[in-house]
Amino acid sequence: MESVLRNREISEMIPCDMQQPVLLFPVRHHSPVCSYQLMRTIAAYQPDTILIEGPENANELIPILTSEETVLPAAIYYFYKDTKKLVSEEGEDYHCYYPFLYASPEYNAMAEAKKLGIPTKFIDLPYSEILIHTKGDRGLRTEQEKHSYADDSYLVKSRFYAKLCEKTGLRNFEEFWEKYFEIGGIRKTPEAFIRQMYTYCILTRRETPQEEMEADATFAREQCMAARIQEAMQQYKKVLVVTGGFHSLGLHELLQAEVKTPKLHSFSPEVQNCYPMAYSYDAADALRGYASGMQHPQFYDEICKDLLSGREPEGVYRDHTLDLLARTAKESAKKDIPISIADVTAAYSLMEGLAALRGAQECGMYELYDGVTSCMIKGEKTTASAMPLELLGRLATGDAVGRIGDRTHVPPLIADFEAQCEKFRLKARSAVPQEVEIPLFQKGKGMEESRFLHRMEFLGTEFAQRLKGPDLHRGTDRSRVREVWKYRRTPHTDAVLIDHTTDGVNLEEACRTLAGKALHRERRCEMAARISVDCFLMGITLPPQDTACMEEILVNDGDFFSIGKGLYYFDMLHSLRMLYGFSDDAVLRYISQCFSKLTALLPTMGDVPPEHAQECIEICRILYGVTGRVLPERREELELALLTLTEREEKEPSVFGAASGLLYAMDGSRRTQAEGAMRGYLRGSLAMQKQGALFLKGLFETARDIALTDQSFLRMTDELIGGMDFQDFLEVLPSLRLAFSYFTPSEIQSTAAAAAALHAGGAEDILRKKAVNEELYLFGAELDREICGILGEGATG
Amino acid sequence: MEQNFIKPPVEVRCAEELAVLAQTDTGKKPENWKLSPKAVRTFILGGEAVHPDGSKTTISRKFYGNDALVERCIITLAGSRGLMLVGEPGTAKTMLSELLSAAICGVSTNTVQGTAGTTEDMIKYSWNYALLLSKGPSREALVPAPLLVGMEKGIFARFEEITRTPAEIQDSLISVMSDKILNIPELGDDGFVFAKPGFNIIGTANTRDKGVNEMSGALKRRFNFETVAPIRDVRLEKEIIVKEAQDLARAGHIDCPVDTDVAELLAVTYHELREGVTAEGTLVDRPAAVMSTAEAVSVYFQTLSHAWYYDDGRIDLRLLTENLLGAVCKENRDDLEKLKGYFHTAVKEKSAKEGGLWKAYYETGKFLK
Repeated sequence: MESVLRNREISEMIPCDMQQPVLLFPVRHHSPVCSYQLMRTIAAYQPDTILIEGPENANELIPILTSEETVLPAAIYYFYKDTKKLVSEEGEDYHCYYPFLYASPEYNAMAEAKKLGIPTKFIDLPYSEILIHTKGDRGLRTEQEKHSYADDSYLVKSRFYAKLCEKTGLRNFEEFWEKYFEIGGIRKTPEAFIRQMYTYCILTRRETPQEEMEADATFAREQCMAARIQEAMQQYKKVLVVTGGFHSLGLHELLQAEVKTPKLHSFSPEVQNCYPMAYSYDAADALRGYASGMQHPQFYDEICKDLLSGREPEGVYRDHTLDLLARTAKESAKKDIPISIADVTAAYSLMEGLAALRGAQECGMYELYDGVTSCMIKGEKTTASAMPLELLGRLATGDAVGRIGDRTHVPPLIADFEAQCEKFRLKARSAVPQEVEIPLFQKGKGMEESRFLHRMEFLGTEFAQRLKGPDLHRGTDRSRVREVWKYRRTPHTDAVLIDHTTDGVNLEEACRTLAGKALHRERRCEMAARISVDCFLMGITLPPQDTACMEEILVNDGDFFSIGKGLYYFDMLHSLRMLYGFSDDAVLRYISQCFSKLTALLPTMGDVPPEHAQECIEICRILYGVTGRVLPERREELELALLTLTEREEKEPSVFGAASGLLYAMDGSRRTQAEGAMRGYLRGSLAMQKQGALFLKGLFETARDIALTDQSFLRMTDELIGGMDFQDFLEVLPSLRLAFSYFTPSEIQSTAAAAAALHAGGAEDILRKKAVNEELYLFGAELDREICGILGEGATG
Repeated sequence: MEQNFIKPPVEVRCAEELAVLAQTDTGKKPENWKLSPKAVRTFILGGEAVHPDGSKTTISRKFYGNDALVERCIITLAGSRGLMLVGEPGTAKTMLSELLSAAICGVSTNTVQGTAGTTEDMIKYSWNYALLLSKGPSREALVPAPLLVGMEKGIFARFEEITRTPAEIQDSLISVMSDKILNIPELGDDGFVFAKPGFNIIGTANTRDKGVNEMSGALKRRFNFETVAPIRDVRLEKEIIVKEAQDLARAGHIDCPVDTDVAELLAVTYHELREGVTAEGTLVDRPAAVMSTAEAVSVYFQTLSHAWYYDDGRIDLRLLTENLLGAVCKENRDDLEKLKGYFHTAVKEKSAKEGGLWKAYYETGKFLK
């Protein structure tokens, strides 16, 4: 294996001499050994400038990243809006991250250049140009959730290493890399390390098809990088170039002749821009799934810091793996997993033994995993018993979130977000999910904090998720006085906030703009009203042009149910205004408008299809409620609409019942009309009688007291049930059950007493006694009759 | 060596390879080990033994699956803790234990088979009662059991199916594993047996029986556990079936070539029934029976034997299906329906797509009764 990587013939294809004018330093992104050897190379080579692989439109962010106040992990966030359709006909928006960790050679190159006072800059094509040169679904245009500029996929997916692993029994690329480069590489001289990197990268490049490199813009990017190197060569005597190892051969070949400077498009900052942003170890670890990062970023960051602090490389892995092993045992103990000192000792001894067996100079992460697997998992390895492995993974990954030091370059929304997090003491610098409980209606910052989290949710940052609390959209849990939120800052949070930079200078303004935009896309009253609910929760008042838009939606929407749902929301917002300490005058106008439209449409709802009947009844109830709370002067209007509805020939019985109930509620003298209607159903055919149950259901839903004032409706119900055979009764039973479900328990008890009295029984008989089998009852009744008959005969005889 | 046994032990079967490795081994050895850890690895996972003159001898691979697990096992055995191999039946735990013992100690037969009736004297020692009566308690009258043998010779004691033995018997290992001393009280002051370097215990336990959950915490702490998983790679499973069937045929003097296509068919069937999903993504019911590679080998060899003795060496797919039925439907009546279901969905789909052997295989589904 080592002999393959030491192949002189291949490694000498690219010269590596500390005196040559250009030195191409090959790296793997986020690799500690590359950082370590790069620092040694800088010291030996003493460059006049350092050129780094990275989109050149981010050059002005280099001082921010290397600022002493900046805490890594951090990233450059690039976005490009393809408004001119240069990338594809779809004209999509694109974005990607360029993460930096303490182990990143690119970061260390920038930091070292700053220390030495030599210029440094990025030399790759701007992000937009990379996209323009990339063919569909390749490179940075692949359809994946996360895009990282720092892409190592060629190195990671190389078939060359796969063959090596097969030969040597290594499990995957990471184990291979750790053994031969990270651990093996720190003991080499910079030249030897560079040559080993050249060998691996050249062998990898040789087996990569040309079309693939053409399609993902590798050639176009190398053309640009080579041109920038040649420009620098004219200005400086010694140029150090830090790029992904895969590009080294391509750049070397291009530099043998004059390279044309590529022509670049010009874009406004709104179309193409980049920002520095906080990043997390967690996100850096997730990128390895896209072959764009290294596993266990915090572990390697710590190793790198240690190496760069000047300590001897000997034993650095041994010390750090031992430290991590001890921390894993400690964390396991916290989870009640019994791990003794003897287990830790056995695991460490196993790790050392494995390293010796595998010919590694020191034990690394894979030996550590093996040690924990053997000595800390007691019994069969299952998801549950493998908790120590999971804890090890978490510790090695890390949960810290970085920080951008120079606040002047922090996008305004991120600055506002961080300020609010500080104000409400939310942990914005941890990638570990947190929970917060907010008392909504107590004095203090509760409501403000809730509004902030609602704003973050509305912006789609995935920062906060409400677990408990009143849900005004669904109308559930409205009695709750606290909200429980789960929150976690991820790079996605920052990315989304950056994306919304043009929407406002603070979160409130951005949410207002976004709500306005959403409103302008809506056509349905219900959906528009939901946006109003969002604004209410966020404590945002919409500007006049947006309220005008809302009114236009209300005017144009002709759907009774959509307007009804809208009225429900507006009415709710109006009734909660005092409690939530937020009112919007426009809501009253919306309620009035919805009311007008609904009363105009209501008479046509008489023959609503049965599946929409319940919705229609709900709307009638809301309308009635509104005339009681908000628009008392318009009750007559509703009364007229209901009367027109009840006078129609074709009527859905439950809607008819509900309308009759509301009319009775407005005027008690209308009781007789309701009774008359019910009698009509009773006297009709069997089909009509069945509809009587639905009528009752509607009636009791809106005016159940009608059944309690006297017993006429109870008798009619009794008559209805008594007149049906068992099968028909079963058919109407659900409607009847629903009809009586609107009663309170005490009302049910008094109704039961009244019903029992009709059959010479008591309420207790119905409520408490066990039901008699119907057949047995019939048999008993028949027996009674027979006996009475016989006794009668005897008496006469 | 003439190998006129049904199944010679590993150290006999692989005597040549072990000898070559011993000759060429230049690695560091723990005390009393026959081979260095590197050579043990090569013996089990295959590789090359390099002679001083530069010539190489190829060592065959004997254990397939997780190479890192084998490495962990070797290093564990060089330490102070015992090795406990756990996993589903038929995952080659016993084979791995034999290979490790043969390579490291040169002996794989110093074994206790754990059963519900295993007693402490089967593990530690018992007495030759005639001598005991005539001479009293003495070393001469002592009959050492595998644990004592292992301690005295500095070799491994293998404890098969350890969890099938009663807990109090299992716990009798604790003091031996902690202190590496066995006290034989009947011998008085001479009754202390100190373990020689090289002594260790390899236990195996399958997860279908009692499992290791009932094992005492004290005993668990004295072992490093390794879970041997079934082989997840169909290609590898096919290779194993072919190789094992060839070995069995050779041992049984069955001069019949192994049909690799049929082996693949069987490997796919076992793999898909075990995983509960086919290569095409169709979900199938998993039988309750153990669907191990060892079972697949047995089904194949049974079919091959029948072909050799009755059908002029031609493999009859009907017989394969019937043998499969016998192997799968052992304990649970529902397994028959699950097997039928597999034929009606997965095999049917493959028969329509690939035809040939799969078509013939599908047609034998009617014999599943």
